[in-house]
Amino acid sequence: MKKEENGLYWRRLDNSAKIFPISTGKKYSTVFRLSAVLKEKVEPNILKQAVIQTLEKYKSFKVRMRPGLFWYYFEHNTKEPIIEQESDYPCKYIDSRRNNNYLFKVSYFENKVNIDIFHSLTDGNGGTIFFKEIIYTYLELMHPEVLSEDERHIRKIEYNTEDSYMKNYDKKAKSNASSRKAYVISGEKIRLGAVSAIHEIIDLEDLKRVCKRYNATITQYLTAVLIYSIYQEKYIKYKGKRPIKVCIPVNLKKFFLSKTMSNFFSYITLEAEPKKDNTNTFDKILEFVKSDFEKRLTEEEITKTMSANVKIGTNPFIRPVPLFLKKILVRLSYIEIRKYTTITFSNIGRIGIIGKYKDYIDYFLMLIAPEPVEKIKCSSCTFEDKLAFTFTSILQDNKIEKKFYEFLKEQGIKIQIESNGVLDDISREN
Amino acid sequence: MIYPEKIKAKKSDKIIKILMFVSACIAILLWVINKLTTPQIPWAALANGGIVYVWVIVIYSIRKNVNIAGHVLLQTIAISLLTVYIDYILHFKRGWSINIAIPIIIIIANVTMAILTIVSYKKYIKYAIYQLIIVMLSMLPAILMAEHIVPNNGLNISAIVVSVMNFVLCLIWCAKDVKDAVVRKLHW
Repeated sequence: MKKEENGLYWRRLDNSAKIFPISTGKKYSTVFRLSAVLKEKVEPNILKQAVIQTLEKYKSFKVRMRPGLFWYYFEHNTKEPIIEQESDYPCKYIDSRRNNNYLFKVSYFENKVNIDIFHSLTDGNGGTIFFKEIIYTYLELMHPEVLSEDERHIRKIEYNTEDSYMKNYDKKAKSNASSRKAYVISGEKIRLGAVSAIHEIIDLEDLKRVCKRYNATITQYLTAVLIYSIYQEKYIKYKGKRPIKVCIPVNLKKFFLSKTMSNFFSYITLEAEPKKDNTNTFDKILEFVKSDFEKRLTEEEITKTMSANVKIGTNPFIRPVPLFLKKILVRLSYIEIRKYTTITFSNIGRIGIIGKYKDYIDYFLMLIAPEPVEKIKCSSCTFEDKLAFTFTSILQDNKIEKKFYEFLKEQGIKIQIESNGVLDDISREN
Repeated sequence: MIYPEKIKAKKSDKIIKILMFVSACIAILLWVINKLTTPQIPWAALANGGIVYVWVIVIYSIRKNVNIAGHVLLQTIAISLLTVYIDYILHFKRGWSINIAIPIIIIIANVTMAILTIVSYKKYIKYAIYQLIIVMLSMLPAILMAEHIVPNNGLNISAIVVSVMNFVLCLIWCAKDVKDAVVRKLHW
């Protein structure tokens, strides 16, 4: 924390976080969700207690956002968090004024606990650490006779809120950003601001077996299946020349030493042109994905992308622009910037849960908010023997999701579908 | 099943929207009646100014978690603008808005902020930035006096003295908080 004054400490937003409140609105929520499906019904009062206790340990989440003259900043929030039964679509815009000023929202339904987090607060990695602590604390409060916090103390890591971008960026690195606009998935949107969530719960052993056969990592393989599904269902009819660009967020803690709970991620963008490069079969797409990963997922390339973004935030001509003007300029420029990605696929990897706690959890889910331009977004996480691959979409047709499912089935992978039923209703209506 | 069967559509502020529409209709109706009956007396403009003022206050007040010092600042600006507007509609015959009303509003705002500072100085960091804006706005009579737009009457001078005293009080009482508020608001 930056400073503590009569209990009202404050801190600056990290370099990535700065952009989110400026560009965010009801249509661009920049919210991601983590859910834990437990093996027992959720007890709301205990859950609230668990969230309050967790906030005492992770004070960087007990904040509200305030506008300064040039940038937003975080300030200590003295209020209690609100815990509600799930009643809205996932990853919707968090109106902090209706949420006791908090930038995250915990909700529950039957056996499931959700946390929706505004991206300014943290990234997928930080969100997972915080959410796991809520789940651990909840389970300890529910089963004090079996589970105790003492068992977890040995593994406790001290986190901080430093801006790791500022610490690790390279002032001299040149930008590697592509200047080509991306193919945009089009189609009729779902009405009334609804968001469809389709979870494909994949058997991890089967998936590993297939990945091994292709000598690919899980992320590479799933990215290739995704590109192939887009190609088969949409891109094949496309007459334009724009490539399918897949944005893959990268956890920078794997490349740089950092214990921050603030954002510390970057991304790589794969640029697939199945028609031009004659990569129109799955095997060829996968070969392309593997080689593009190899080319782009290096410390040097990642540093270039990260540094280019840091340079925007530290630009001496941008910094003194008043916040209200920044908002106007960023929102206008984002109309264009958003056209540089076809789809985002975020894989936060394995969610490790210790010891006996595992017995109470069925699986985890991760969801990211779709937007008017990037109408479908994908995310995945792994828990024990299940990988949950999620499509969040504002499109009425779910051909890509179906193709993805059918392809994995054809490969002999066991797969089970869960959804929030939004597209089921539309299918029935049609 | 991991999602509720029927997810409720987001509750909109329908009542507020309906009331706003009704207010707009009333405002138009008043303006039409005024034009048709007594066009020489602009009473509809006065009433419509009141409607706008009420809505500014209502919209700000229904927001949860609004800072009390923010209310003082908003009221200072809104009432000042309303009085100038009414004065303007009545053709600035005596200039009572800038000669009398605004100095009184400034005095009340500064006294309110001084009381807030003394009563809850532990929370002062929350009020500091509003306090500074109120002090800056309170210099308006000084500018108007310097430009000879308003006379150097006792009320204007009192308003300046009270706001300077208020500023000095907050510097003595909570200088560290003022500095901290300025640093966090102006960080770049």
